[in-house]
Amino acid sequence: MIASTLITGLALGSMYGLMALGFHVTYAVSKTVNFSQGSSMMFGAVMGYTFMVTLGWPFWLGIPAALMCCAALGLAVERFLVRPFASRGSDAWLMATVAGGIVLDNVILFTFGKEPRSLPSPFVENAIEFLGTGAYPLQLIIPVVGLAIALGLTLVTTRTKLGKAMLASAQRPEAARLVGVNTQAVIAASFAISALFAGVAGLLIAPLFNVSAGMGVVFGIKAFAAAILGGINSAWGVMIAGILYGCVEALTTAYIGSSYTQIVSFSIVILVLVFVPNGLFGRAELKKV
Amino acid sequence: MNDTTTFPIRARLTRLLSHPATSVVSIVTLTLLTILLALNANGYLVFILALFAMNVTVGVGLNILLGLSGQISFGHVGFFAIGAYTTAIMVLAGFDYWLAFLVSGVLSALAGMLLAMPALRVAGPYLAMMTIAFAFIVEHAAIELRHLTGGHNGLMGFPAPELGGRMFFETEVAICAAVLAGVSLLFFLRLSRGRWGTAMRAVADSEVAAQSIGLNPFAIKTVAFVLSALLTGLAGALFTPLQMFISPGSFPFFQSILFLLAVIVGGTGRLFGPVVGSLIVVLLPEVLSGLAEYRLLIFGGIMLGVLLLAPKGVVGGLMQYINFEDPTPAKSSGKEPAALLGGGDAAPRGLKITDLGINFGGVQAAKNVSFTAPPGRVTSVIGPNGAGKTTVLNMVSGFYKPDSGRIEMDRDLAGNAAFQMARSGIARTYQTTQLFEDLSVRDNILIALGTGHLGWLLGGAPGDDQIAITDDLLAFVGYKGPVARRAGDLPHVDKRLVEIARALATRPAVLLLDEPAAGLMHSDKEALTALIRKIAETGVAVVLVEHDMSMIMSISDEIVVLDAGVPIKTGVPSEVQNDADVRRAYLGDSAYQGRKRVGEWKHGGKKEVLSTRGLTAGYGAAAALEAVDVSVEPGEMVAVLGANGAGKSTMMRALSGLHRPVSGAILLDLAPIDELQAHQIAQAGLALVPEGRQVFPLMSVRDNILMGAYTRRDDLDREAEIDALLARFPRLRDRIDAPAGVLSGGEQQMLAIARGLIANPRILLLDEPSLGLAPSIIAELYDVLADLRDEGVTVLLVDQMATLALTIADRAYVLESGHVVKSGLSADLQKDSSIEKAYLGSDVAAE
Repeated sequence: MIASTLITGLALGSMYGLMALGFHVTYAVSKTVNFSQGSSMMFGAVMGYTFMVTLGWPFWLGIPAALMCCAALGLAVERFLVRPFASRGSDAWLMATVAGGIVLDNVILFTFGKEPRSLPSPFVENAIEFLGTGAYPLQLIIPVVGLAIALGLTLVTTRTKLGKAMLASAQRPEAARLVGVNTQAVIAASFAISALFAGVAGLLIAPLFNVSAGMGVVFGIKAFAAAILGGINSAWGVMIAGILYGCVEALTTAYIGSSYTQIVSFSIVILVLVFVPNGLFGRAELKKV
Repeated sequence: MNDTTTFPIRARLTRLLSHPATSVVSIVTLTLLTILLALNANGYLVFILALFAMNVTVGVGLNILLGLSGQISFGHVGFFAIGAYTTAIMVLAGFDYWLAFLVSGVLSALAGMLLAMPALRVAGPYLAMMTIAFAFIVEHAAIELRHLTGGHNGLMGFPAPELGGRMFFETEVAICAAVLAGVSLLFFLRLSRGRWGTAMRAVADSEVAAQSIGLNPFAIKTVAFVLSALLTGLAGALFTPLQMFISPGSFPFFQSILFLLAVIVGGTGRLFGPVVGSLIVVLLPEVLSGLAEYRLLIFGGIMLGVLLLAPKGVVGGLMQYINFEDPTPAKSSGKEPAALLGGGDAAPRGLKITDLGINFGGVQAAKNVSFTAPPGRVTSVIGPNGAGKTTVLNMVSGFYKPDSGRIEMDRDLAGNAAFQMARSGIARTYQTTQLFEDLSVRDNILIALGTGHLGWLLGGAPGDDQIAITDDLLAFVGYKGPVARRAGDLPHVDKRLVEIARALATRPAVLLLDEPAAGLMHSDKEALTALIRKIAETGVAVVLVEHDMSMIMSISDEIVVLDAGVPIKTGVPSEVQNDADVRRAYLGDSAYQGRKRVGEWKHGGKKEVLSTRGLTAGYGAAAALEAVDVSVEPGEMVAVLGANGAGKSTMMRALSGLHRPVSGAILLDLAPIDELQAHQIAQAGLALVPEGRQVFPLMSVRDNILMGAYTRRDDLDREAEIDALLARFPRLRDRIDAPAGVLSGGEQQMLAIARGLIANPRILLLDEPSLGLAPSIIAELYDVLADLRDEGVTVLLVDQMATLALTIADRAYVLESGHVVKSGLSADLQKDSSIEKAYLGSDVAAE
């Protein structure tokens, strides 16, 4: 039982981590986040369903198209829900992104439909034997993809021009502008990446659960909890925290009872913040007088 | 008063609307109307009215938190649920409803306190997460604690509340809810006009400033959180008899967002904001019942619309149209300043600092700092940029905890928190003024009068005596504008004056002034100088940090000179002015001489690489740079000299595009760049090596250098170019793979220059390259700069080491108070005494 529990925890947790990475990316360069990450995740799954099931596109076309839609969504969120407020020093972006998420969820509800639908995938047709327990191949693929993307992000930020521009903007925004980095464009790109990660998570877990307009809300909140738990300014911190969060959830569900899951995991978040206010792997931010 | 004749209808309307009696009458009327409606309506409308009134109560609670103390909570449905469940469980166990009602409020308030303690230590997204987690925990605890809450099945069958033999059914509960809403509105009215409410708004506005007038932000925010939870819990206690059935499904997380929505849409911080917001949230779905399923879509849309188009909400937006500022200025009662500042009664106390030291991550920012600031005297702390002056002030005012040393008044205060320092009699002002921008000028002073003692929670509005003191203080500092003006809308000089008045309102024994003259015009500086003298004469010990040397020299009784965190000289102005160490620290006079250009530089005739025409730039009202014309020709090295605060850095920021907007023209290769952004200017070929190096601390030295080539479009042979730069800066070779953050100051400076050079810029701007570096490193750096000049790199150099800069520059401009006061070939300027005057102030005797 422990093995199957951990497989579930690892799969869910790596997706929390992936979405938490999305929070981290925008926070690092702009000190803002899209509070409706859950809606971006749902959007990825819904667009994937629309392209691949409703329209019957092949996966190699449907998946990139759905992810492009997510990236465009991220750009729109930054441009219309974050920048107008952040540029004048207001933190109303927080409520604006929440409201934006509510609007998107409901627009999808009335266009996509209310009934949850399942997204078929060749990887959930037959369970396979793994570590003495039965698991869908997708459950094993998910953590691999999640970690690969996290690794990819590390490579992108350390090896590519855009990545270095992001690092520079995060570390010294003014000096980044002085060497020619358009920091505003970098912030926009980070929101696109953030929504893209959420979209990947949505497409990956959709076959395990169902596709529906409300699928992202609680998932997004848990991902945010993981980001805070890990310390939102640490990339690997949020990824590890996501996996831990998923495993704690799975273990609580298996050994204590599913109704205790949220109590236990959210209590852990509060307790951790009581003792480590910047999260498990976070650094304190410098305050200037 | 006859000014109603001079100020027409809007003034009267504003006065009427802002009068507390108007609010009281409105609240009572509104409550009575709701009750009347409830008595004459059918069952469903009664239910809706009760729901509306409950929402108002929760909204008022959230308004205390969000509108007054500036904190957000996504967890209020949790307090609402605690209230509702406590009542349900208690009445089912046979307790009286009214007892249950009270216990519900108390338990919610307790939960609020327990959550506030850890939550308020964190901010922003961390606080949001804490409250979200709280809401989820309460919701799921309600599901799981089955024996208490009935789990998913919920609780029902409550006996109706009873009072004086009368049973409370729907109508009576609605009336109760209306009364509770009315009472909470009155509570908010009283709170927000009194000291506590003002203190909450002050904390929301600037925690730093709040601490320096003795307010404890943590305590004040906690009180706001607890009050907010209390009202929400009481509303929840009414929810139980109204619904007659509660289950976890009655308290979804989403409800928290609807609570917030009501406050924000109505108008955050406005008394009637929650009323208008609750009308929309509760009544709109009833009106549009045909569109019931689109409820959330409509709410989301309304919220977005309000945030984007009317950020102050419906009430705030409406008030903007009729808002009229009372133009009455402060009226002085003619009281003696000494009596005003309380210097008369208490024995004057001075400040004694002994061996104060602090280090930040291995860098000793201050060491062995000792001086006394006797009462009635002006003690000035001066020194070049980065000498540690503000660090010392931050330690004395409690914002930094010193590693060693004593700060003594009656006793040792070292290590106390900022608000405790303020309560012990140490007041301060800031380099960039820290007023409570959203409060009126008068409220800024009033809230400081208690030095952190706020009295009873509902202490009410300040009395006439306090207003009289406030007016006297404002008149004393020379503020002539309206006392009702929003502090954020003041011109720069008035901000300075009001900030000093606010510091004085705490009746300090010691007043710390951090660059009070920065950004002021000459006449204002003179008035300020006179004011500081007057303050000292009342017996206050004044500690002044300032860059304006003529002011320092004319006003100080004693001067402490800091250099690199260490005091190098203490004495009266004339001693300090003529001290060799001081001259060295300021002007860079030393044995080392920069290498001169071989042969004579011929200026003129060449096409300018960079030039300005009438360049003017500033922060707020005062121009830091005014009508400046400079030009740099190809291959030329030009220095810009001037004392701190003369406008050198502003000039660099304006040229590089970091400071926008500017007026006047900036031309790079004869093309205008004054409207371009910093990254576009970098692409156009101007590279600024900024003050304080600003290397990317977590990137390797190699990556830092390569970041400099970000704009290069040509083929870049990375290895060859990096190698060439390492040959120029051999110190960097060993550290090439180390993160730049661990480099020493000198190495970081060299890295920053390398980062600028690899861009192949048309012109290289250097802002204070020698700042905070040891003499041997400065020598090394200046040798490199001389090499660059000889190789034909065009350079514009800002350095406070004037004498040194002149040895390598071809030409120089001298800035004073934002104007170019002198320019010419270096050789000519070296003989000119005006530079020394610009740095160390003109001779006191000669003035």
